[in-house]
Amino acid sequence: METLPIIYLGYMFISIYFLSLFLLLYVKNRKELFGAPKIGKRYSISVLVPAYNEEGTIENTIKAIFSSEYPIKELIVLNDGSKDNTGRIVERLLKKYSNLKLINKENSGKADSLNQGIKLAGGDLVAVVDADSYPAKDSFSKLIGFFDKEDVGVATCSIIPRNKNKFIERLQLIEYNVIAFTRKLLGYVDAIYVTPGPLALYRKNALEKIGGFSTKNMTEDIEATWHLAYEGYKRKMCLATYATTTVPNKFKPWYKQRRRWNIGGLQCISQYKGCFLKKGMLGFFILPFFVLQLFLGLLGLSIFIYLITTRIISNYIFANYSIYVGTPLITMNDFYITPSFLNYLGVILLLTGVVFTILVLGVMKEKILRKQNIFNLFFYFIFYLSIYPFIMITAIYHFFKGTGTWR
Amino acid sequence: MVKSQKWFFLYALVITLVIFNFGIFMGCMLEQSRVDKINIWYLEAELELLDQRIQKDAFEIIDLNCTAMIEENIKFADKIFEEALVIQKYEDANRINQEIIFQHKRYDLLRTLFWINSMRIKEKCNSDYHNVVYFYQYNNPSIEQKSKQKFFSNLLCEIKQEKGNKIMLIPMAADNNVSSINLLLDKYGISELPVILIDEKIKITELDSMEDVMRHLN
Repeated sequence: METLPIIYLGYMFISIYFLSLFLLLYVKNRKELFGAPKIGKRYSISVLVPAYNEEGTIENTIKAIFSSEYPIKELIVLNDGSKDNTGRIVERLLKKYSNLKLINKENSGKADSLNQGIKLAGGDLVAVVDADSYPAKDSFSKLIGFFDKEDVGVATCSIIPRNKNKFIERLQLIEYNVIAFTRKLLGYVDAIYVTPGPLALYRKNALEKIGGFSTKNMTEDIEATWHLAYEGYKRKMCLATYATTTVPNKFKPWYKQRRRWNIGGLQCISQYKGCFLKKGMLGFFILPFFVLQLFLGLLGLSIFIYLITTRIISNYIFANYSIYVGTPLITMNDFYITPSFLNYLGVILLLTGVVFTILVLGVMKEKILRKQNIFNLFFYFIFYLSIYPFIMITAIYHFFKGTGTWR
Repeated sequence: MVKSQKWFFLYALVITLVIFNFGIFMGCMLEQSRVDKINIWYLEAELELLDQRIQKDAFEIIDLNCTAMIEENIKFADKIFEEALVIQKYEDANRINQEIIFQHKRYDLLRTLFWINSMRIKEKCNSDYHNVVYFYQYNNPSIEQKSKQKFFSNLLCEIKQEKGNKIMLIPMAADNNVSSINLLLDKYGISELPVILIDEKIKITELDSMEDVMRHLN
């Protein structure tokens, strides 16, 4: 057999494997998917909100946090040198909320701000909430029960886009739902690889043990999760609650955000490469999974570029001959397509992926399918996900050049 | 609870192996069905060619109707040309079953036999049809060759449509290491591919216009 079909079969094998894994985990755990542990011990919670130029959302974030069912010990806003009215808005709210604190500091980045916040935090648990994210009222009460198990280092919940009117926002809505669902399933095999910035609740002494958030990593949330896994802490996910966040509504900021995620992933791979097949699920699943994603993305992109380039060159030469001599560019024979069995398998796999995503959206009670049409899903599969390998290339470039920026 | 669920990595692997192998099996079935189809065509073509050859041999001893024989010959040429187009598509689509390559070689031999037969009939019947043999690169053609071959193939289809029964179109892979084809390539001094050989005399590897071919077919 030729090389390309073998590679295609390799891709199909891996896709079927992960699809089977997720389906098995779903079937096994479907009854308790939306469950949350009961509150046992009452832990005190300090909430950290790092903010840089967040005048548009900071007030609502603070309000959302203070409307939590579970009492908050303190909310510390870390104003990271904002040039807008963020500081003034928080100052105004200080009068309203007695346990709201504002730390104005020089701009030093999100991770460093959080580390300063950890030092000030007096709670047993430290929640990190992005300044543009609104936790649901029951977020903390649904997460707190996880910490009754001593080995739990962090817990998170579904992150749902708040803005979902534009096409790009609706695609992200699908993506965020799939991510939340699969993260929950990965939790059953202790393979959660990120507890995202919009809302993550950490055990304070676990954070102290890992030395806080890495200021060198572009995605401090991924690094912290890996570091906790490295130290043997469990990461938990709860689908019973959520936090909403603002997602990019234009291509450029969306692209930059994804590129930053990818650079962060590469930094984590580089930092933890020595853990391959060591340190429990970090070395046996998370790290290989990231490396596999990277490898498959790059290989797929290389093959795609090779095929497209050869096709363009070939068609150009053919067209030149045909136009020069005056023969037809297209004949009836070109319309008789004879698919290979790989084409059939590819279509079946694509449809299975679409069905799986519909299942996810159904399980997550997402009404997107009723509001929009199936076109979004196919676009998501065929185009949206296909952009990721291109982002990966630029991420690799910035990773090696060391020029990635947070924003 | 979490520990026990790690077995799911293994369960998923088993399920994947089952689905994957089933997919490969179905793929093999599909490709084999195509090979079987070609096999039947080949056997039919072989029978028809045998019939043609008997006619030609009989013609050497007794007086037979030349026009009917030529008509049969052209019909047969058209048939194997059409089949060649389909076989080409099947070859491009077959990924596992390599038997189709052997089928191709058998077909090439059959076409060679047909070409020789056609040369003899033409000579015996003193006919004015043209043998147009198209030699192409079968194994790993370069991008340039591939494009040129697609162009030549379209061009010959056009000519066939225009000239109809005036030409006997025989496509043939030239690099399949078949001794009889190699001998003929040597005999006609063919070293560059693709090439169109008209009436065993004119070789065309480059074209400026369709007229370059047409003027040899009038």
